[in-house]
Amino acid sequence: MTGPLLIQLATAFCGTVCFAVLFHVPPRHLWCCGICGMAGWLVYWVSLQYQPDTVVASFLAVIPMAVCARACAILRKAPVTLFLIPGIFPLVPGAGIYYTAYSFILGDSAAAAAKGAETLKIAVALALGVAVVVAIPLRWGAGARSRQR
Amino acid sequence: MNESQRVLELVTEAGELMLKNGAEVSRTQQTMEIMAKSLGVADFHGYVLTNGIFTSIGPENAMPAQVRSVPASTVHLGRVEAINQLSRRIAAGAVGLDEAYAELERIRQMPCAPAVRQVLACGFGSACFAILFGGVWQDGAVALAVGLGLQLALLGMDRWGVGKLFTRFLGAAFVALATLLIFSTGFGVNSDKAIIGALMPLVPGMALTLGIRDLIDSDFLSGVIRMLDALLTAACIALGAGLVLALANLIEGVAL
Repeated sequence: MTGPLLIQLATAFCGTVCFAVLFHVPPRHLWCCGICGMAGWLVYWVSLQYQPDTVVASFLAVIPMAVCARACAILRKAPVTLFLIPGIFPLVPGAGIYYTAYSFILGDSAAAAAKGAETLKIAVALALGVAVVVAIPLRWGAGARSRQR
Repeated sequence: MNESQRVLELVTEAGELMLKNGAEVSRTQQTMEIMAKSLGVADFHGYVLTNGIFTSIGPENAMPAQVRSVPASTVHLGRVEAINQLSRRIAAGAVGLDEAYAELERIRQMPCAPAVRQVLACGFGSACFAILFGGVWQDGAVALAVGLGLQLALLGMDRWGVGKLFTRFLGAAFVALATLLIFSTGFGVNSDKAIIGALMPLVPGMALTLGIRDLIDSDFLSGVIRMLDALLTAACIALGAGLVLALANLIEGVAL
């Protein structure tokens, strides 16, 4: 089990870093993006070992990914978007989009509808997960300050 | 132009750069407010949408206003970070107005990663995702080749001026076609994994992320625009790949 896991982690890291390059993230932040992507995929992969639902796995995985991104943002003093955008890529349902089209082409409408719904559900799960993490205020009293302004 | 008008100009310019390069709406608005206040304009008002910025300053400064249209363009997160740092330094009082203008100009000129590096990143990223989603190394190799070609095609279409959605459609069609062609030589094991890996550079991960963030920050209009963008992009990818798969399906002897 450790062999495949290492390959999974390495490819998740490299893939995220490559995509961060495509978004022109400064080179000094690249490895942090990789860590975020890897953290998300690690949880995704582990949770799929215990239950088969990709929607649940996506939701469980996006939370540590977003936590990681926020931690990087604080430690590296950079906007959280810098880590969040590349980091979410391993979890984005690219496969779902493909299999939806694929089932549709083969004339299997039921499978296409099921895959399409699953893809949409994963997107919603990702949205909820990011929302849960990003919406938590960092310091007590941020609201009081913005009201004074 | 008097002092406060120059501040307005600078702040709006900075906001435009942030928004264009992939910052979310609320961050853009916040940064503009902080910059204006730190540069001595207390009554600054800004309204930011996904593709437009409206700013004005109040009656003490003769009420000048600015409107900017910010069409979608290449995302450059390095520029977002640089402006974030600039605003930090302005807030700390370390940067004057003239210096800030010079710095902003430098950020605007920040180069994109060289084309070679982008092509390599796209290729290796595609290969990684092909393996990550359950492909074997042969599938990764196919995805690598297709990914390299894809980024070249994307850069070419960008220069040519093809619209964003149509670019995604053509890109997805290219990925499916190129992968199936390579697989028809007998190389590779799982054509679906290779196609999915090479499709990953096209999927709307950024629109999804920014849409979520806009919605959380109660910027509902901008959030809905982004989400719609994500949905349409996904549909275009499915359409492009599906079209090629359908054609391949018609031809005898192509195993999907």
